[in-house]
Amino acid sequence: MDKEQIFAELADSIVSCKKENVLDAVEKAKVELEPSEIIEMGLAPGMSKVGTLFEKGKLFLPHVMMAADAMNAGVDSLKDLMPDNDGESSMGVIVNGTVEGDVHDIGKSIVSTMLQSAGFEVYDVGRDVPIQVFIDKVREVGATMVGLSALMTTTLMGQKDVILKLEEEGLRESVKVMVGGSPATQVWADKIGADCYAENASEAVKKAKELLCA
Amino acid sequence: MATEYITRMGDGRKVTMTKEEIRADIETGIGEAVDAAEVPELSGDEIDHLLEIVASKEKLVTVEHGKEVVLSLDGGSISIESEHGSGIPCGRINGVVMEERAYCLDVLELAHMDYSYKPVKPLTAVECQTMRQLQEITTTPLLYGAMPNMGLYYTPDGPYENPGDLMKAFKIQEAQDSIEKSAEHLTRDMIWILQKMMKNGGADGANFDTMAAAGDGDFYSALNAIEALRKEYPEMYIEAGMASETVLGIHGELKYDGVNVAGLWPHKQVELVEKAGANVFGPVCNTNTTYSFAWNLARAVTVVKACSENATIPIHVNMGNGVGGIPMFEVPSTDTISRADKAMIEIANVDGI
Repeated sequence: MDKEQIFAELADSIVSCKKENVLDAVEKAKVELEPSEIIEMGLAPGMSKVGTLFEKGKLFLPHVMMAADAMNAGVDSLKDLMPDNDGESSMGVIVNGTVEGDVHDIGKSIVSTMLQSAGFEVYDVGRDVPIQVFIDKVREVGATMVGLSALMTTTLMGQKDVILKLEEEGLRESVKVMVGGSPATQVWADKIGADCYAENASEAVKKAKELLCA
Repeated sequence: MATEYITRMGDGRKVTMTKEEIRADIETGIGEAVDAAEVPELSGDEIDHLLEIVASKEKLVTVEHGKEVVLSLDGGSISIESEHGSGIPCGRINGVVMEERAYCLDVLELAHMDYSYKPVKPLTAVECQTMRQLQEITTTPLLYGAMPNMGLYYTPDGPYENPGDLMKAFKIQEAQDSIEKSAEHLTRDMIWILQKMMKNGGADGANFDTMAAAGDGDFYSALNAIEALRKEYPEMYIEAGMASETVLGIHGELKYDGVNVAGLWPHKQVELVEKAGANVFGPVCNTNTTYSFAWNLARAVTVVKACSENATIPIHVNMGNGVGGIPMFEVPSTDTISRADKAMIEIANVDGI
């Protein structure tokens, strides 16, 4: 079996969302490939495919979580073969929440879940979150990105308020800001000085990778 | 140099495009709908007509005589009274009467400012009283409307553990159990409130607005409530509208009439809504703010046309800020609204807006 076939088999095992399939595929791949290749060229593309299928409504949230759980198991099974720190999450630390006054939770939670599944270290601070909670959490966990959700035109301004507070606290340079939620747009993100706008959960993962992993 | 036409992007920005550029966006928008929703594409004549509508030199366009459609609404008079609407200082009763006599709507709705069934439950007696008062002074059919909004049944707002938190902790079975319990509770509440509204308030019917806002459990719950109410009130008028174009699969395995409700697009959603017993279905197609109005409208018309063709009940498509091809902007522009409405009526063959 050539490398491409092994990568495809690893990716397919993730799309199957079954832990045993992933562990079997990793076990076979170990003979031919380095652990970093197994993760980066096989398992991670599989996870991206799961994200795409979720976006298209072909897979659902439980499947995404089962796939993420299976991927974690696959990565764990390679740990003994990896040098120290190899395979540890280095993608970025993200604080994600819905701004104060806005109780919408579900979309933001899905974004957190998808970011977590993609390998980011995610701290979901919930909904109706006071500005200071964002600031404190960013400091506490050394976040490299903060995600701000707002689902109402009346609460959209809360995204700008968090950005202003990050500037006031001297944190803005060290943290990227992503905004989202149905009334948010790229124009709005540009206007308030956010680093990016994401239309949906899959795009949030894509934009976070572009900003934090480039 | 090719003539440029004034149009907009999905976020409402005014831009100019040539007819060739508009046609190209219409074709890719249709392609996206065909790919995502697995629906038939528009015909060449329909594409030409859509191009003619989008590229019209007129600021406002409208339908031909005889093609006018029914106008219903959701949100009651909230968009008239509230600060994030028109902000007109009036109460609900005046707002609804204005909708009947000034806006000439064909179906009216009474709604509470909170607009979800759960917070309305303890206020049902007051809502029934207002419904009775309004029935005395209006002649147009008057529904009671609210959102199922199942998110309110999860912690910290409700009694059941938040499936989002459980999923993040990989507790998938627990998350699914929590969704099932919430759905059952929500169904019970909606039936109870609407029974009172029919019996004590004299409502002509009910509107289930933004179904599936909290995913498949939310939609499943609404379908079950509609089914129960239809059995109890055969003459009740039931309008059922969606929150977004697809049903987000948060549970992933809930079935209604043997069909998994997750991942359904409007042409499949309507089959279940009909089966449950609704009289009218309101499909949604979401606007993508990064693409042009032409792209979004073509996509929305393609999705909604398939729904109209598959439906045996009237289709009242959701049209407004960020839906139905209309750009996402707090006060949507009349040029895009009129074009989108015309396209939905003349190409997607909707029965109402």
